[in-house]
Amino acid sequence: MTATLETPAPPDAGATPPARRRTRRRTPDPNRDQVRGFDKLWVFVFLLPFLLLYLGFTLWPLVATVYYSFFDWDGIGPIDNFVGVGNYGSILNDKLFWLAVVNTLIFAVLNTAIKLPLSLLMAIVLTRKWLKGTKVFRTVFFAPLIIPVAMAGLVFTYLLNPSNGALNALLLDLHIVDQPVDVFANRWSALLVLVLVSIWQIFGQYMIYWMAALQNVPEEVYEAADIDGASEWQKATLITLPMIKPVAVVILLLALVNAMHVFGLVVTLTGGGPGTSTYVVSYFIYQEAFGSVPFSYGYASAAALLFSVIAFVLVTSQGVFVRRAQQLRKEYGV
Amino acid sequence: MKALRRAAKTATTAVALTATLALISTACGTDPNRASNGGGDGKGVTLKIWDFSAEQVDFHKLVAAEYHKQHPDVTIEWRSITQSEYTKTLPLAFQSNQAPDIFYWSDSGTNNMNQLLEQQWIKPLTPSGTVPENFLKRWPAGSFVDGINQSGGKTYGFPFSENLYWGPGYMFVNKKVFGDAGLDVNNPPKTWTDLKNACAAVKEKTKAQCIASPSKGKELQRIWGGLAPGLRNEQFFDLKTGKFSIDDPAAVKTFEFIQDLNKSGYLAPGTNDKDFSRQQFAANQAAIYFDGTWMPSVWKSQGFADDQYVVAPHPNPDSGATGALSRQPDGNKYWISSKSAQQEKAWDFLNWMTEPDGYFVKEYYKAGFGTLAFADNKKLVTDPALLNIMKIAETPGYRVNLPVPVLKCPDLAKSKAYLDATAKRPSGEYEVMVEALVGNKPLQPLAAQLVKERQDIFEKTLKEEAAKGLKVSKDCYTFPDWNYTSDYSLDKYKK
Repeated sequence: MTATLETPAPPDAGATPPARRRTRRRTPDPNRDQVRGFDKLWVFVFLLPFLLLYLGFTLWPLVATVYYSFFDWDGIGPIDNFVGVGNYGSILNDKLFWLAVVNTLIFAVLNTAIKLPLSLLMAIVLTRKWLKGTKVFRTVFFAPLIIPVAMAGLVFTYLLNPSNGALNALLLDLHIVDQPVDVFANRWSALLVLVLVSIWQIFGQYMIYWMAALQNVPEEVYEAADIDGASEWQKATLITLPMIKPVAVVILLLALVNAMHVFGLVVTLTGGGPGTSTYVVSYFIYQEAFGSVPFSYGYASAAALLFSVIAFVLVTSQGVFVRRAQQLRKEYGV
Repeated sequence: MKALRRAAKTATTAVALTATLALISTACGTDPNRASNGGGDGKGVTLKIWDFSAEQVDFHKLVAAEYHKQHPDVTIEWRSITQSEYTKTLPLAFQSNQAPDIFYWSDSGTNNMNQLLEQQWIKPLTPSGTVPENFLKRWPAGSFVDGINQSGGKTYGFPFSENLYWGPGYMFVNKKVFGDAGLDVNNPPKTWTDLKNACAAVKEKTKAQCIASPSKGKELQRIWGGLAPGLRNEQFFDLKTGKFSIDDPAAVKTFEFIQDLNKSGYLAPGTNDKDFSRQQFAANQAAIYFDGTWMPSVWKSQGFADDQYVVAPHPNPDSGATGALSRQPDGNKYWISSKSAQQEKAWDFLNWMTEPDGYFVKEYYKAGFGTLAFADNKKLVTDPALLNIMKIAETPGYRVNLPVPVLKCPDLAKSKAYLDATAKRPSGEYEVMVEALVGNKPLQPLAAQLVKERQDIFEKTLKEEAAKGLKVSKDCYTFPDWNYTSDYSLDKYKK
């Protein structure tokens, strides 16, 4: 028997001509036609709370941030000192902002590059039928997620403290080091610790994402592969990975965007230090907005918007892949 | 039947809409002044006071209870917020109209009142702005100065802590660790070399660290305040030249000594916060801790008694001191909020609080919290550690009066130049020092860049303000006839 395996082709993958797609879009949605008269009011009533919350907590802050960014405003007095694009000009020349941007991107990329393969590997293992106690493992890996970020930061601060932290005590007792190691004394080791602690905490969440994706791969495909004599490696690389690729792109996007929001761990673990060397954008904005009196809301708003633009460009550059992935996801039915 | 169903539908819709609107209006319609007003229900007035003196929480409860006993119509709600959070929480409270009636603010030193007026956070102590003569007499002459705590003939503040004893710059020595190291606790290090030698002994003969020195955020100020006055002072602005000064030779030399201590393994490792370092010292894990007048009460609250440590003067360079700790009229710390609807009641309380023989003063000293500007410290202080601190501070030249720019140029009360220059990276000096310290890098390049940024903003803003008609210039901040080891007395401004 040959062990040649082919990835099962989706029913109509790549076969949909543009014209056909347009025709499909024009097809009237029968459900929409059913909402008539008085029911429309009900639809509005049920949507209203969400719309109000969206307006108040998403749209309004966004518009306000854009507005504030054109003023030198301390957040308290009247907003009357219009500075145009002055805040943006200052930020573009602010070395600390760019250091924070670089640190944020390093954190996001490193964090994503480590946590996604690791969590995928663990998800593959935990979805194996032969493995006993999967619930226990799932709980163990998920547990750090329920610990508040601030608490996690404090725990690791004490664990890693060179004066009397458990890690250094162990290293010294085992004579692995002669002097305590201060991982927060150096930009790169401090950033690495931030990445690793963050992964430790969020790992379970991504594992669950991957497990959800993996469980959507039809069992019959694996059964067919078994009949063909496929090895576990072949099943993983020729069935699992291609089948979950559409969801993987979305998970990757989520992982990157979430990692760019890093804040709590920086506050509790490094405080942006040593000096300012582990500043990330969220921390920079927080310090600008609230770090000194008078506050610099205008400047902080401009920094937030500028970084949002940078992040938006990065994220939309993945948009092509995401759209393709979404299309594949529908076609694969995962 | 159809009409009935329609009516029912309409009624249900109306109920749903009303409920939604009610929820929204409840969420948006809280009364920000509800807590401090409290007087409309006939049960009296609630005065809200905020500060960040966590070790004084029980004391504040006692004060509030006593005041309520004496003034049944007034209830005091005294809230202490963590120091690091306070500077964020208070402004946000003002922004959201939830500011307390009385608040503590000391961040801007001698410029406190001007900054608070600029931000419209404060109102005069009394509705008329004038305070009775017997109130003013509680302080030594010269305590109420236009531009510091008075403006436009109105009094806005009063010195709370006196400024001879109060401040950073004391060395606390752990008796047990010193004893274990074979050192004489009654003969603590007097020079920088003595300090290094003592640290060498501690390192060699004990498992403890030598100096518990916090460095997280701006906490390096603890050891900086203990060593910088040996050469200049602990400030980052040189009033002799009118320049920001973290890059000047005296500051760099002081930093290099701290860096040398660190390289030799004499500073406890880690980027620790002050609470960690204080605990380290109190747990006999460190021999020395540098900090200020408030420490006896802090350690008392942690169960570390004053017979377990001694207080000593800060060590000086081997060639002798060429500087001194700074003394400024910056003790104005409690202010009446502009948002308070209870100005008169707030004034009554502050008037009561500052009675030299009153309940507040007696209990304050009983707890050993420090030294007050409106009380007879010599008579009232009984805490042995605090008495020792007073003795040290009374040494001539230990703490000297700095020149006060606003007294030289009254228009500085309206100037934002210094504030603007320091608003950007307010902890910048400590950030560059920590970066150089842990990275084992030279301070000078980092410091020079920060000084340039600050000085550029400072001088540019002064020029812009002068162009608008304010009588301000860099000269207002320059006192070439002053030297760092002697008082700049009030009569010098009259020349």
